[in-house]
Amino acid sequence: MSAGELRATRRGFLRLLGASGTLAALARLPAPAARAAAAPAAGGTPFFAPREREILTLVVERMVDTGLPEAPAVRATATIDTIDRLCRSLDPSLTAPLPALLRLVEWGPLLFEGRFARFSALDEAGRDAHLAGWMRSRLALRRAGFLALRNLALLGYWSQDETWPLIGYHGPLLGRRGPAA
Amino acid sequence: MIRSARTLDDDLFLRAEVCVIGSGAGGAVAAAELAAGGRDVVVLEAGSHWTKQDFTQREDEMLPRLFEEAGMRQTVDGTITVLQGRCVGGSTVHNLCYCFRTPDPILGLWQEEHGLPELTPAALEPSFQRVEAGLKVKPIREDEVNALNRLIRRGTRKLGWSGLLANHNREGCVQAGYCILGCSYDAKQSMLVTYVPRADAAGARIFADAQVEGIEAQGGRVRRVHARAALADGRPGPRLVVEAPVVVLSAGAVATPDLLLRSRLANRSGRVGRGLHLHPSVMVAGLFDEPIHAYRGIPQSWYVDEFIDLERDPHSGYVLMPITGFPALTGTQLPGFGRAHFRWMRAFAHTAGLLVLLHDRSEGSVEPGASLARPRLRYALRPDDERLLAEGLVHCCELLFAAGAREVLVPYVDEPLVVRPGDDLSLVARRGAAAGTIPIASTHPQSTCRMGGDPRRSVVNAWGECHEVAGLFVADMSVFPTSLGAPPQITTAALADRTAHHVLERWPELARTRA
Repeated sequence: MSAGELRATRRGFLRLLGASGTLAALARLPAPAARAAAAPAAGGTPFFAPREREILTLVVERMVDTGLPEAPAVRATATIDTIDRLCRSLDPSLTAPLPALLRLVEWGPLLFEGRFARFSALDEAGRDAHLAGWMRSRLALRRAGFLALRNLALLGYWSQDETWPLIGYHGPLLGRRGPAA
Repeated sequence: MIRSARTLDDDLFLRAEVCVIGSGAGGAVAAAELAAGGRDVVVLEAGSHWTKQDFTQREDEMLPRLFEEAGMRQTVDGTITVLQGRCVGGSTVHNLCYCFRTPDPILGLWQEEHGLPELTPAALEPSFQRVEAGLKVKPIREDEVNALNRLIRRGTRKLGWSGLLANHNREGCVQAGYCILGCSYDAKQSMLVTYVPRADAAGARIFADAQVEGIEAQGGRVRRVHARAALADGRPGPRLVVEAPVVVLSAGAVATPDLLLRSRLANRSGRVGRGLHLHPSVMVAGLFDEPIHAYRGIPQSWYVDEFIDLERDPHSGYVLMPITGFPALTGTQLPGFGRAHFRWMRAFAHTAGLLVLLHDRSEGSVEPGASLARPRLRYALRPDDERLLAEGLVHCCELLFAAGAREVLVPYVDEPLVVRPGDDLSLVARRGAAAGTIPIASTHPQSTCRMGGDPRRSVVNAWGECHEVAGLFVADMSVFPTSLGAPPQITTAALADRTAHHVLERWPELARTRA
């Protein structure tokens, strides 16, 4: 699914508003029971639904943007799969708020800025500006949401072998004959 | 044999003489000593049993395996990241091997202000000797000091500050540098390769993936421990009930009070979960012209103790310690996102991290959360502690410049600060180190079930036994009456050793005593 295919629907927006308070959930309120009960086994069904996965990808692309042409594109790596696998491996009570958080990011320009636009419809500069709004928000919960997504993005992207040459990291020694560097 | 509770086909009821909850620096020592002393021991560990074959040196794989909440556990306000182990061996599997005995002035403080005259250096000496032998503690050799630590030492000496090469628990270290992701070579003498196998060899029945949900007491004494298999998808599995006259609770300074509070035990003092100290730390990053590759070699060997004088003031001070990480963990400590963040990531191989670790007066709390996986940690820095952290940041900058850094990043969240040699560092002091303005981390949560002579002000007595529940002992960092002011591995292990030997000496009378 591409960004352009992410359709805004009235039903989707209402569902977002009624999504039991994503920010409150982030603040460690009990996880939505349905999601926790439906959590798949590690290695099973993906954690993120296709629509959530696309929003996540757009977020991660901005979080780890290097500006370098030689940098591996997020979509060309297993970054999102790595994040998905991580989320499946964690206790569901920890990860249950994430899908709702992504929807909140998607509708964030409308909810927090009063702009009739979705995150996925913004250009790169617009997405950066919107994420900066999360990062600098006066709402601690919104900042916590930003940090959760940023840390997942960093873990996902910088765990990919093909990103390491960008920063001079030589990678694990296991399987090598002797220490490098 | 270490068995995963996930392999249980059905509920399991066990009888034992001692049930140990947790297998980290406290639990593993207690289990091994008690089993070697002839007691029938069952160990319940919430985390999984990973071994060197599983330690892949990759962050995406090891963080979820070894750490609570994949290393992303935070205080409820999101300002402090708390790293704790969740695996057989506990935090000793990912720690960086510093080995310090309990400082004498701290023991003095515990004796004088917390009603613990028994805790003298001489009384603890046999326990220190046993755990140091058990963990093969020895001084770091000169050829084991890596590039990062050599730099920090160079800066320390240039400034005329006090520092030292610490003792470590390593044997045959290949200096790969992946200690924090688990040792792939079994060179780190963590509980995983020392006391846990000893407990196993002495006949202890050890269950991994066994999440304790509650402790039951009756008539003033402990009776049973209730656990469930922690299935891979987070659902509860078969029940595991252990009936034992003695229970040693060693789940760490977060899970231990959480379990006591959920079980409504031992809290007449109101102190369970209170008094949380974190040894909060903040870091700066020094950028050097030459590549350092700080992630290679033993990560921490040099230790700057210029700014802590426990003889003069046992309540406060701070130390400076080199710190390194791998790309993802490092990234989470750097400010911003996107290209602004990458500016610092790009310098990864040229970066030397230095942190301030505070001997904190500030106190927080632990409360049960929505699930056992999500306890609620609250912690607010006192103004005097904030000032000390800020002072420490200034000293970190000075030290890195003395070591040759061309610039230093102080990673303030809103507007990162970059200082260069000759800059006025009072700007750092003015911006301070308030929670939320700069990443703060903790690897040493402690003091949430304090030891003390007065049952109105403490949870356990000088032997670690709960004042109110006979047979229920606590043997982990929760029992520290104050912030320790030093890396806690040896103190935790020594106090657990002492508790275990106390139980052995009082057996079998202890198993019958009522509170």
